[in-house]
Amino acid sequence: MTTIGPAPTEVTIFLYNVGFGDCLLLRLGYARGRNRSVLIDFGSTRRAKQGAPKSMEAVARKIEEHSAGKLDVVVATHRHRDHISGFAGDSGKIISNLDPEVVVQPWTEQPDLAVDATDSTVPAAGSSRLQFAARLESLHAAAAQVLEQLPRLAGTPGVTASLVRQLEFLGQTNLKNAEAVRALQAMGTRHAYASFGSDLGLADLLPGVEVEVLGPPSLAQSPEIRSMASTNSDEFWHLAATGGQAPSRQRAEPLFPDARQARKIPQEARWLIPRIDKMQAEELLSLVRILDGVMNNTSLILLFTIGDTRLLFPGDAQLENWRYALQRAPNAEDIRSRLSQTRVYKVGHHGSLNATPRTLLWNGFVRAGLPDPAQQLITLLSTRASTHGDSDQGTEVPRDRLVEELKTRSRLVNTQDCTAESGWWREVVVPL
Amino acid sequence: MAGSQTGQVRVVAQDPSVRDGADGPILTGLVSFPAEETRDGPSGHRVQVIDYDATTQTMYAPARTGTATAQRSDEDIIGDPAFHALNVYGLVMSTLGRFEFALGRRVAWGFPGHQLKVVPHAFAVANAYYSPDSQALLFGYFDNGRGTTFTCLSHDIVVHETAHALLDGLRGRFLKPSSPDQAAFHEGFADIVALLSVFSMKEAVRRLIDHAARDTSDSPPGEFVPTSALRPRQLMNSALFALAEEMAPRADPGGIGALRRSVRLRPNPKCLDLLEFRDSHRRGEVLVAAMCRAFLEVWTRRLDALAPGSSKLVDRGRAAEEGAGIADQLLTLAIRALDYTPPVHLLFGDFLSAALTADTEVRPNDDRYQLRATLLRCFASYGILPASGTADGCWQRSDKQLRRTGVRFGSVQSDPTEMFRLIWANRTRLKLPVTAYSWVSDVRPCLRMEPEDGLPVRETVATCIQHVQITADQLGEYGLRKPAGMAGDVEVSLEGGSTLVLDEYGMLKFEISNRLPRPTDPSACARAQTRLDYLHESGAFTKGITFRNRFANVHRLRASAAASSRQEVW
Repeated sequence: MTTIGPAPTEVTIFLYNVGFGDCLLLRLGYARGRNRSVLIDFGSTRRAKQGAPKSMEAVARKIEEHSAGKLDVVVATHRHRDHISGFAGDSGKIISNLDPEVVVQPWTEQPDLAVDATDSTVPAAGSSRLQFAARLESLHAAAAQVLEQLPRLAGTPGVTASLVRQLEFLGQTNLKNAEAVRALQAMGTRHAYASFGSDLGLADLLPGVEVEVLGPPSLAQSPEIRSMASTNSDEFWHLAATGGQAPSRQRAEPLFPDARQARKIPQEARWLIPRIDKMQAEELLSLVRILDGVMNNTSLILLFTIGDTRLLFPGDAQLENWRYALQRAPNAEDIRSRLSQTRVYKVGHHGSLNATPRTLLWNGFVRAGLPDPAQQLITLLSTRASTHGDSDQGTEVPRDRLVEELKTRSRLVNTQDCTAESGWWREVVVPL
Repeated sequence: MAGSQTGQVRVVAQDPSVRDGADGPILTGLVSFPAEETRDGPSGHRVQVIDYDATTQTMYAPARTGTATAQRSDEDIIGDPAFHALNVYGLVMSTLGRFEFALGRRVAWGFPGHQLKVVPHAFAVANAYYSPDSQALLFGYFDNGRGTTFTCLSHDIVVHETAHALLDGLRGRFLKPSSPDQAAFHEGFADIVALLSVFSMKEAVRRLIDHAARDTSDSPPGEFVPTSALRPRQLMNSALFALAEEMAPRADPGGIGALRRSVRLRPNPKCLDLLEFRDSHRRGEVLVAAMCRAFLEVWTRRLDALAPGSSKLVDRGRAAEEGAGIADQLLTLAIRALDYTPPVHLLFGDFLSAALTADTEVRPNDDRYQLRATLLRCFASYGILPASGTADGCWQRSDKQLRRTGVRFGSVQSDPTEMFRLIWANRTRLKLPVTAYSWVSDVRPCLRMEPEDGLPVRETVATCIQHVQITADQLGEYGLRKPAGMAGDVEVSLEGGSTLVLDEYGMLKFEISNRLPRPTDPSACARAQTRLDYLHESGAFTKGITFRNRFANVHRLRASAAASSRQEVW
């Protein structure tokens, strides 16, 4: 993690309004020589309500323009659709033609894991890494199962439209993005699959910039991630993936086709039946929420340091991922001390309630709340309200309380403020 | 199921993977409960089985109850929904019967109604849970790769969920956020009831013995088994674990596998302080581990006493009978303990003192099993000490003489208003602040049967709750300080409560309290401050935090090994 050569003299971040998703370009300007460009994520699951680009190709063209036709590093923090969907299809081809040198992904994306992990029904004995990768395959299958049930659920009394919408959103987000995954594998001249403490070997490519990997922890490092790879847990996800009968047809084959069925619904059951229907849908929603969290916790957390300016990009990492760097790592205290000096913070997981650890991270930012706007913490929020979560249950994304805090204690740059007039990207010049 | 005093239903002894011998049929057994006239369903005065499947939107015909005790083929057990309906009915009713026997009175469910709905094939989801909102137990089913696993056929799971519903009826406030112990208690207690319920069936214990004997090289063939094969370590590490292996984690959607895992938790007096056991779904396992160790210790000690001479051989049937008897005794003790717990803010140490007191009251002579000394030792090995602080761990008897002027003794045993009159007349003696909102939440006459001397113990158990609603700025009036970071205008509920146990003459025997804090009572303030800090840290005062679907979520967390921490969320 040593730096080579003179540091950048200009740092600009482009934040593209991809709706519910992330897409950021970090452009580093040098006094001598060409600029360097780092693309961090390129995905979306819901188009922005206002100030949206025409298409993902349009975003790719703008990235091409902002990077002057050359990407040095592509970072795909994790494999959720809202972070990598743009790497597939025509928009992906444009990115690929920008000829990135290095593609950085979390260790869970290593292709040999993925190949070995194709049969999720057979957890690989003796290798918890393979087992974990198999888990991710099961998660995708579980998401697909949930989506298959949507047409039936949508027509069931007791299951609200809002419940169906949330199921649809989370199900789609967690589907396997096979084309984008393949495109990322084919891209770049070198791949780095990183975990906490990995050296990405970017010193030559990004002179004067230190890039530190703070997450995800490896299985050996984190008991929480390790427990997600335990056999019990593995079986849980396998179950979720197979999901029982999970019929997609409007009316499925009964579980016991030869058994006597009631000719009419008994009186005592009439009150209960819509409730059971609703609870089934809620069960599925809880399942995809857990699954969404597991995938989020494979997210890269990257800390860029340029001189004494620190820029923090945590993808969608949630608490289980963060906890190693902030609490359990031998140098956790030192990490927290460095993070306290953060200048730019990309708000984790689109502003959800549990991706910006409140006491361990946020409360430590010394620039939060500074009165001088020139000195204040800069926060970048890429999100779309009313897509994910439920404000009645305090799970809305972005979380109101967090947004309020970001507004009052930092210089918040929010993609939701993009309008047709102001344009569909934001350009943030980071003071050095 | 009519015509005699006792109803019986044949149920799966453990789960369909547990067979009677290596290649035998699925192991079943009969469970008993007070007889009643049922409608098809079965539908009785306390349980209605409603066989609706939300995934396939199928309503199966109500099961006919005529063949409830008949031996059934494996094919029927797996493939006949009517058997599944009878299985859940039998297990729920027998668990209810166990509670009513132990407590010596009728036990209500935790919702305003008398009939619990039980849905054996609710949906194709790998979960099973108690839903107070729907007044129902819901059992999912799923494809395990080899066939369908029905959670309604797992004895553990059905009893576990029933125990949740019954505990909710007895101590509704144990579902409220209070402390890590209280959050974990529902799971731990339901596991204990499930485990002891399985092992109070002779068939299951016999199978445990056969497993242990199979693993021992010096085990003679036939009906005798050396006691050396039945040491706690062997039983834990081989036989009991073997049961879990056959159950297979994939047949474990409700997280009941955790129950097996908890048996093997090593004793550690500091374990409750470990981060790992701060999460409620792990913390409850400590309670189960302590109870299991006590069961195995008492049982193996009895086997030694039963095997005379140098051969140290014991008859398998007798050994099974002893094991089932001890499990049954412990189950009674654990259930009876509930009546001796404070109605609010339960800690594991309260439960231990309650269990020891409950047992002492009806079974003063413990020479035969030494259950209480063993419980004290086993719980201490996991860092759970009796809250009473007494040498025997029991609650101290009350020496308060209550004023009873104008109180009708006949009514005070069952009428909450009459009981409140008694409490109000003695508010100073009972140290109850008069400004709090107070009410008697329950009052029940109990007749507890003593199996050894045959003399019933008559008691009246009443619970009184006190509640104040203040803002954080007013906490000082109660001897509490505002947790760091809490705004002054946050609304805070403080609750206190007492369980009063009266003897057959209406004299106060026990007063088991967690009172509202007040500046003159430093120990109550210290306990309340710990709770307040924990609740603040865990986000209980955060608007929008919901405890709906609590059981469904806890079970899913247990199975998926996820973690949570409220203090870090927004």
